[in-house]
Amino acid sequence: MKRSEIDVLSPHTLEEALALLQQHQKDIKIIAGGSDIIIQLRDGVVKTEKLLNIFAVKDLRFIEERDGRIHIGSLSTYTDIIRSQHIKRHAWILVEAARQIGATQLQNTATIGGNLGNASPAADSLPPLYALGAIIVTRNKSGRREIPIEKFFIGYRKTALKSDELIEEIYFDGLARNDAGSYLKLGLRKANAISIVDVAVILRDKRRDSYGNVKVALGAAAPTIVRAHRCEQALIGKRLTDKLLREAAKLASQDASPITDIRSSAEYRRKVLGSLVYQALHKAVLRRDGV
Amino acid sequence: MRVEHKISFKLNGKSITVKCPPAYTLLEVLRDQLQVTGPKEDCAKGECGACTVLMNGQPICSCLMLVSQAEGSNIITSEGLARGGMLNEVQKAFIDHGAVQCGHCIPGMIVSASALLTGNPKPTKADIKNALSGNLCRCTGYTKIIAAVEDAAKKRG
Repeated sequence: MKRSEIDVLSPHTLEEALALLQQHQKDIKIIAGGSDIIIQLRDGVVKTEKLLNIFAVKDLRFIEERDGRIHIGSLSTYTDIIRSQHIKRHAWILVEAARQIGATQLQNTATIGGNLGNASPAADSLPPLYALGAIIVTRNKSGRREIPIEKFFIGYRKTALKSDELIEEIYFDGLARNDAGSYLKLGLRKANAISIVDVAVILRDKRRDSYGNVKVALGAAAPTIVRAHRCEQALIGKRLTDKLLREAAKLASQDASPITDIRSSAEYRRKVLGSLVYQALHKAVLRRDGV
Repeated sequence: MRVEHKISFKLNGKSITVKCPPAYTLLEVLRDQLQVTGPKEDCAKGECGACTVLMNGQPICSCLMLVSQAEGSNIITSEGLARGGMLNEVQKAFIDHGAVQCGHCIPGMIVSASALLTGNPKPTKADIKNALSGNLCRCTGYTKIIAAVEDAAKKRG
């Protein structure tokens, strides 16, 4: 279908959006900021008769903190995230990722809900959200569902989102003062690059010289974001020495199943993951305690 | 069948309404229908910045924005940066420094640099490089462009 033949429906409230989505669910695709889907429409990867343009739905653009929990409306842009004091304080790894997503022009329009819905395994906001244990709240006309992020993504570019649902918000428990975390990305250049691999690390529940809760999430290393469970297990409750960080980081690639594409070979991804995870752990722990 | 909508927004200070397919990009409508040719299409992927315009004061890629999404917004292209027939400081500085070779990327560069100085009147060199990291130039090597933006910041005071 030619783009000149595609109709665009542009609701202004969440209620209008949900009603339109229910009515047209068979032949409509949602457009938020547009930075992924416009390319896909032009390349013919996505075909649709109608677009639901939710860009003007202000109800979905908010960032709030309630009782230590951070709520991010799905239409929040990366610029909104970078500028949010709540996120800077309680989810700084998400700010570190947001700063490296495209350049300013994209940060001003690309939304976190769009990044989730597009479900690219190289989406930079996703490893931090996995490490934060985010819950994705979806909504249709009759109600809402809360889906843990690891259940939201069910395969390569596949989500649990139903055709009459949209993503309303993302929430997670914010990082506390004693928590540690970092995000590192390897791209082909410093700015404006899609990840070869990226890593988010969070250590919570601090004891004397260890953490009771460790999460390591790997991006662009499998059909979806994956947690490096073996690496996490090697660190939980242990005294964090430089030697242990190095050993644990080596285990990370065991949970990865990288592919070869235009940005990197699978072999390089697997090798470099270990180094990147070590650097991310080192940065997170060093920032708190020194190793 | 071709679909057309009437879409209204402010373009370079004037309120306009255009009748066009709603799934056309803002860039397509600016260039092909409104003959505003400062913004250009190069990569069409959000990497090069040649299509940069301001939407409500923020630089965006007009090739990755549907014209429908611009409804009700305030769009400024490089053509709309001059005030009362006078070039702005960034435009003047680009001329003074000869920060141009083929010129293709310059409208986008100038839009991004002008937005930077509005939000951050005293940028560091790192701020300038970061603000322009989404605008690629294949001729100049950037040195004169960065010097021009530094100079424009000084002259704005």
